[in-house]
This record gives sequence, structure tokens and C-alpha cells, in this order.
Amino acid sequence: MKQIALVTILAAAAIALPLIIGENPYMTGILISVLMMAALSSAWNILGGYAGQYSFGHAAYFGAGAYTTLILLTNYSTLNPLICMAAGIIVASLIALITGTIVFRLRGHYFGLASIAVAEIVRLSVLNFEFTGGAQGILLSDISLWGLDLNSKNPFYYGMLLVLAVTLGITAYLRTSKTGYYLMAIREDQDAASSLGINLSFYKNKSLVISAALTSVLGSLYGLYIRFIDTSAVLDLRLSIEIILTAIIGGVGTLWGPVVGALLLVPLAEMLRSNLLGDALVKAGLVSDTSAFGIFLKENLAHAHVLVYGIITVLCILYLPKGVLGLFRRTK
Amino acid sequence: MKTKIASIVAAALLAFPMLVYSAPVKIGFINSITGKEAQIGENLTNGAAMAIEDLNAKGIQVELFKEDDGGDPKNALAAYEKLVTRDAVVGVVGPYTSGCANVVASRADQYQVPLLVPAAAKEEITMKGYKNVFRLNAPANVYSRVLMDAVKAYKPKTIAFVYAATDFGVSTVKTAQENAVKMGLKEVANEKYQQGQPDYRPSLSKVKAANPDLVFLVSYDADAILLMRQAKEIGLTPKAFLGAGAGYTTAQFAQQTEISNFVVSATQWTDDVNWAGAADFGKRYKTKFGKEPSYHAACAYEALRIMALTASKAKNPASLRAALKAGSWSGIMGPVKFADYNGFTNQNNHPMLVQQIQNGKYETVYPASFSKKKLVYPFKR
Amino acid sequence: MSFLQPLLSGTLTGGVYALAGIGMSLVFGVMNISNFAHGDLMMLGMYLAYFAFTLLHIDPYLSLVLLIPTAFMFGFLLEKLFINKVINHPHQNQILLTIGLGLIMSNTALLAFTSDPKILTTSYSSSAFNLPGGISISVPLLLSFLITCVIIAMLYLFLSKTTTGMALRATSQNREAAQLMGINVAKMSAIAFGLGTALAATAGALIAPTYYIHPLVGHSFLLKAFTICVLGGLGSVVGAGVGGIIIGVVEAMSSTYLSSDWKDVVVFVLFLAVLLLRPQGLFGKKGGQS
Repeated sequence: MKQIALVTILAAAAIALPLIIGENPYMTGILISVLMMAALSSAWNILGGYAGQYSFGHAAYFGAGAYTTLILLTNYSTLNPLICMAAGIIVASLIALITGTIVFRLRGHYFGLASIAVAEIVRLSVLNFEFTGGAQGILLSDISLWGLDLNSKNPFYYGMLLVLAVTLGITAYLRTSKTGYYLMAIREDQDAASSLGINLSFYKNKSLVISAALTSVLGSLYGLYIRFIDTSAVLDLRLSIEIILTAIIGGVGTLWGPVVGALLLVPLAEMLRSNLLGDALVKAGLVSDTSAFGIFLKENLAHAHVLVYGIITVLCILYLPKGVLGLFRRTK
Repeated sequence: MKTKIASIVAAALLAFPMLVYSAPVKIGFINSITGKEAQIGENLTNGAAMAIEDLNAKGIQVELFKEDDGGDPKNALAAYEKLVTRDAVVGVVGPYTSGCANVVASRADQYQVPLLVPAAAKEEITMKGYKNVFRLNAPANVYSRVLMDAVKAYKPKTIAFVYAATDFGVSTVKTAQENAVKMGLKEVANEKYQQGQPDYRPSLSKVKAANPDLVFLVSYDADAILLMRQAKEIGLTPKAFLGAGAGYTTAQFAQQTEISNFVVSATQWTDDVNWAGAADFGKRYKTKFGKEPSYHAACAYEALRIMALTASKAKNPASLRAALKAGSWSGIMGPVKFADYNGFTNQNNHPMLVQQIQNGKYETVYPASFSKKKLVYPFKR
Repeated sequence: MSFLQPLLSGTLTGGVYALAGIGMSLVFGVMNISNFAHGDLMMLGMYLAYFAFTLLHIDPYLSLVLLIPTAFMFGFLLEKLFINKVINHPHQNQILLTIGLGLIMSNTALLAFTSDPKILTTSYSSSAFNLPGGISISVPLLLSFLITCVIIAMLYLFLSKTTTGMALRATSQNREAAQLMGINVAKMSAIAFGLGTALAATAGALIAPTYYIHPLVGHSFLLKAFTICVLGGLGSVVGAGVGGIIIGVVEAMSSTYLSSDWKDVVVFVLFLAVLLLRPQGLFGKKGGQS
């Protein structure tokens, strides 16, 4: 009961947030990124956290959604974007099924490495084909859907929020369903699960397809939102790694872990990128603007944001191996 | 009558504080400081730093808001939105990469804050009719056109393309193919490669077997050095190597005389061109940063200078846009004017230069009006 | 066009890939960790060779004498300080730790050495032997290949003849059993990681004279090293050696007879095919894929 109340309050807050912050595209943009990463990471979590299959190639599904949608829209500009999204789901599910058939016979390291290989094949193929825009990427002109102002950010905020809610809903349902128990059994001990009569490849594929479909919807939304995609933006290995990192820092295999991870990492990355952190230190009077350290902060922290990101990753893995949520949970 | 006088007085009163105290003009600068394009980004950073110095010396105070996009369009958009909504800049210079510039350009009319693109080559950036997007440098098609014009007199017959599978590589070669058809050149080989490979010998061997008169190359950074090394190794000797910008225009490439001598390349800027201040800029840049400036540095310098000069008078984005549209400038990039022509909007019709490495130094060889030296043709080892 | 040219240049390039693959395979075998920082360790090797050449005027090939022990110590310490702490953690945590370490290394290099690529130009950088039939062989590439062969032979002798080498192999085969037999597996892990680092750095130094040096070059070699490892069988030193040469030749052949932009796809397809048909790799032990 307490939980339901909490979730209701959270949902209400999330729905009201754009109204509270008002017309602030920069802030809304960051919130969209937070929601997108939370949803991506939650979708990955269904496969990685519950079935224990660590995919390092989720960018492929994200890219499948984004590319299918934008290719369709550039060729048939009158198409409803939602139909394009559905097409994206089909493409991503197909890739997922092919991948699953090949790689689910493998375990542990092999699965992770094979998922990278599949994602790289997708990335390089998109880069080499002509109809995908190749290295030039795809730039989308204006789009329309039900008269919504798609230049404003709110439709995308609510779109991402909806996908996140659906993903969390599926995760919550899985946790108490037969499929969920099977997945967790597979995660804990494949051989034992198999000897109990659980069809390993069926359940692994099922969770992969669900995860891939949700990821592709997010890819479509991203493509419609930014209106420009190329392989380095939507198919890069870095994206796959960011998704996992978010889940791990929040807490793998927990319902809210990915959300917590995204709430921490995305704003942090933006603060480092835009050097808000350095500026804040100077403005707060902690560091003098003209001191050597102040100049260093202003000039170099921007260069060093990926370095700081790396340091945080290492510290988290060493000292918070179960993620932030792991801190609050009793050890089993 | 009364109201007219009152409004004049009010305007004078409003203008007066500006005369005694001019607040620094706020300008945004989006650049790739990290990520794959960081090397070129550094040249832009340096160019911008020199522009600020020179502007300050002239008494124009600029508050520059520097943003890094890491080469990611999503970050570039966030940076632009931060600049226009949080920092309230009047104009933005950047971003460097074509992908980022494309995304930011598509939103500039929404926020009504002028964007001056210093060095991104993709044509469509200024072909969509955006009112608030201006571009200083010449777009991709000019790279190949100027290179082919430079060798036209020698009547080459065949051409081979070797280029990186990147936006710039593919765009430039597409226009080069069109220009080649116009010139009656026959394409005998087309080798697209993924960047950063250690072994380009198989591709180059194929080109060698086709025995072209011209080899047209588009490569970034050190790939250019690698390709030319391996070309020498396998004995690929066409009548001319034509390098389109990027990796073939770096000081580092010129220093590798054993492999780079007589390579011809297209560039937006050289330090021996007869544009006002170009030579001086080159000299000062070298003293300050300890290396030769690339054309990106010159583009960033000039873009920021034009933006700050115009913005210091215009004060708000709307009048800045009008002033950019109406004005004309002359500086290290030659005459600059943002014009509408051939489907472009607010595009500076920048004449590109062709340079050739002669004895480890870039010498401008084409067009004749800007050059002192003559093109050495055919290529020899 | 000659069939021999791509075969030769592919084999020589593959030799250097092999060295990187062997380093990774060793770490994998002994510690059961996929090291995503391997490419960045290669990058550090490149910079070491570069600075030895420009500052100390030592030929990049001679500098290996200094570089190998330095890199070994660095790897040894890295294991003791970081990797060791997660040895019993889930795979994905280990991988993310090495990704984090890699980010720290590459971005520290970016701050320290800037993003200007460095070119190591020796007197023989672009010289080649010309064989009859229009075939040319790059001198630095040939030298790198020969040195690679010597190093692999030495490594093979070390693993099969010395006590430490045998203990390493025992740990690789069965960690628990090795521990029961009184082998100090923690020490073996540190030695394995040190050796892996030394091999990666050596591969970096060997490729430096024919390549360029940049803080972010590690990435492209990382995926190659993985492919080689899996191809040869994770944990198999001989397998990784052969795997490296196969990858080099496949790359050269596919860019000659197919197209250079599809060659990486060919490599990854081959990789998946091996996983499907022979999951233990070409030289791996059966049942070692858990």
C-alpha cells in the first residue's frame, strides 16, 4: 500500500514537472535525457538484471528504432510517426531474434563479446549502405503528429516518461510472474534451471525481444526529437556501455536502480560537460577566478570531463559494487 | 511632435550609458574539445583565444561562453539551448562538426539567436533557408572543384578516389565525382575505408593497378601520413595527389617531406595568401602556441572576430542577424559577405585555395591571383 | 593483381595483432576477466616508445628492453590496486572497472600529450624491400613481425619450462585446484596481468613506427584483440597467435577482393561463425566457455 502511494506521488510529480519549470528548453532537454537513459537502462535491466545476460550491444536496437523511423519518414513524409515506430519495433525484434538464436547458446563472456560483434556489424552495415544515409547520417525536416508542436520539448518529455512507465510496469510485472521467476532462475544457475525443465533459449529470447523492442521505441523517439542521426550518435559502443553503467551504478536487477543511476549520471555528465561544476566552485568563492587552480579548473575541467567520468566509474565499482540502491538493501 | 521628441530623448538616455560603460558582449562558442574531433577542436579553441585577445586590445570586451559538444549532436543541442536560454548570449559561433552544426542550425530559427558556423563543410547546413544560420567557410563541393580547376590545364584523363568513410569524406567525394564528370575525367578506382586502420596497402595496391592520373584523397589527421607512407612503400606514383583539406593540410604532414613533398591540397586559408593580416596571424599563432595554425584556427578566429564586432554594435539577436546579413568584412580570411546564391542562404562565397608542399612548406599555388609559386606537375618522388 | 601481396602484408600486420591478442588471452585464461583497458595499455606502449625515441633517442625496437619491464610493473600494480578487488565480482562489474581504468588512461593521456597525433618517423619508416613480381614488404613491419615471433617463442618457453610459467598454466586450467595445490593464485593473477600489460605495450611499441600515436587509438585495437582471443580460444596463447595472423590475412584479403569498407564486417561475421561452429575457439579447450 505504502509503495502504491509512493509511486503515485512520483508519477504525479513527474507529470507536473514540465509545468513547474515552465518554458525552459535547456532544463527540459536534460530531463528528457534523464528519462531516456532511465528507460534505456531499465529496458536493458530486463535482460541484464533479471535474466543475467549482459548485452554490450544494446545500441543496435536503439539504432534500429531511430534509423527505421527516420528512413521511413524521409521517404514517406506523410507517414504517421507512430507507424514508423512500430516498424522500428519489428526491425529491432528481428535483429534481437537473430542475435538471440546465434548467441544464446553461449555463456558469460562469450555472450557479451558476441553482442558487441552483432552491434558492430549493424553499425558498419548502416555506415556502408547508401539507403541509410551512410556516413552522412539522416537529417529530418519538420514532422507532424496530431497537431502537436514537435519543436517544443514537452511532447518528447511525456513520450519518454510514458515509455519509462511502461518499462517499469513490465519489470514490476515480471518480478512476480512465472516468466520473471524463470529468468531469475536462469540468472542464478543456468544448468539447474535447465534441469528443472525451463526452456532456456525461449525465455532468454523472450526477455531479449521485450528489451530490444522497448529500446527501439526510445531510439525512434530520440530520432524524432533530435531530428538528426548518424552512426556515432545512435549505434556507438559508447552508448551501449553508458546504458550498462547507469544500471550498475543504480543497482542491477532492481526495479528502481536504473532510474536512480540515470538521475545521478546524466546531470553529472551535463554538469561536467558544460563546466557548471567548475563555474560553481568559482562563483561560490571556494576558488579564486584568477588563481592558478581557478584558471586550471576553467580551462581544463571541460577537457577532463570524461576523465572524471572514468574515475567515478572505478570508484563506484570498487566501493558500490551493488549500486546506490545496494546501499539501502539488506544483504541476502 | 511631442511624443517624437520624447522618444528621441528616451533613446538618447538609453544610449548614453552604453557610451560610458559598455558591458562585455556575450557570445557563445560551441566546439569539440573532447571526443574524436578533439584534435581539430583544439585549433579552433586556439584561434578563438587569439580573437578574444585581439578584440580586447581594441577595447571590445567579450564574455565568451565556451561549450564542449564532444562531437555528439545531442550535446551540441544542449549547449546551444543553454547558451541562448541560460546565458542569454546574443550570438553563437560553432559547432565544428557537420553533424552537430546540422542539428544546431535546424533550431536556430526557433530560438532566433544567430549562429555563425566557422568550419563545418556539409552543404545542407546553409541550404535549408534558415534565417539565423551563417557560414564563413566554403562548403564541401568547393574543395573538389578548386582542386580540379588547379590541375585542369594539364589535361589529366583518369581519377581514383581514396577516402575515409566519414561525413566529410563521403560528401566531398560525391561532389568530386560530379566535378570529375563535368571535366570528362574517368573514374578508375573508388576505395572507401574505415578510419584508423594500420594497413591500407590492399586498397592502395588496387589504386596502383588502375594507374590513375589523379588520386583524390580525403583523410583525417594521421591517416593522411599513413596512407602516403604506404603509397610510397608500394610505389604508387600518379601525376598528382589531390588531398581535400583535413589531414593533408596539417603542419605535421608537411614536415614528413619524404612522403608529402609535392602533394596538392585544398584549404580554406594559408599564411602566405595575400589577405590582410594572414601572415601576421600565422606568425603570432606560432609564437603563442608553438605550432603552425591550421585553416580551422583561422576560420574560428575570423568567425569570432566578425561575430563580436557585429554583436558589440547590435546588442540583441534580432539586430545582430540583420547586421550580419547586411555587413561585409575584410580580414585574414579575405573579403567576407553572407550572401544568398545557388540555393545557399547566408553563405560566405569563400574562395578556397590550393596549396602544394614544396620543400616541407605549404605554398599557395592556385588561384593565381592569391599565389606566388607555381604548381609542380607531374608529381615526382 | 598479385595474390601474394595482401597475403604477405596481412600476415605481417596480423603478427602484431597477435601479440595484443595473446596478452588479452593470458589475462583471460588466468583471471577469467575480459580486459577492456587492453587497447589503452597498447596506447601507453606507443607513447613510451615515442618518448624513448624523441627524448632519449633510442630506436623504438631497442626501447623494448626498457619498455617491457616498465609495462610489466605497471600492470602488476594495476592488478594489485584495482583488478584484484573485483576478482570475485560479477563479470559486468569487472568489465566496467576495466572500462573505467581505460577511460582514465586515455583521457589522462589526452590531457598530458594533447590530441595532436604523434608520428614516430625513423629513418626506415617508409622504406620497403621490393621483391620480383611487384611485391613490396615494409621494412618496419617485417622487423615488428620478426620481433613478435621472438617474443612469442620466449613466452612459450617461459610458460612451458619455468615453474612460474607452469603455475600460471595450472591457474588458468583450474583456479581452485591450483590453489589447493599450494599455488599462490593471487600472485599468479598479478603476474598474468603484468605480462598481459607488457605484451599489450610491446604490441603498441611495435606498431608505433608504422602507425600513429593518439590517446584514443586503443579502441580500434581492443575489438581486434577480442576477436583474436575468441577466434583462438579464450585463454589459449597459441590460438591467439594463429588468430592474429588469420585476422590480418582476412582483413587484407577482404579489402583486396571485396571492398575495404566491408572488411571489418567480414571479420565480425567470421567471429560469430567461429562462436557458432566452434565456441571453444580454434585452439581452445572444450567446455571452457562458462
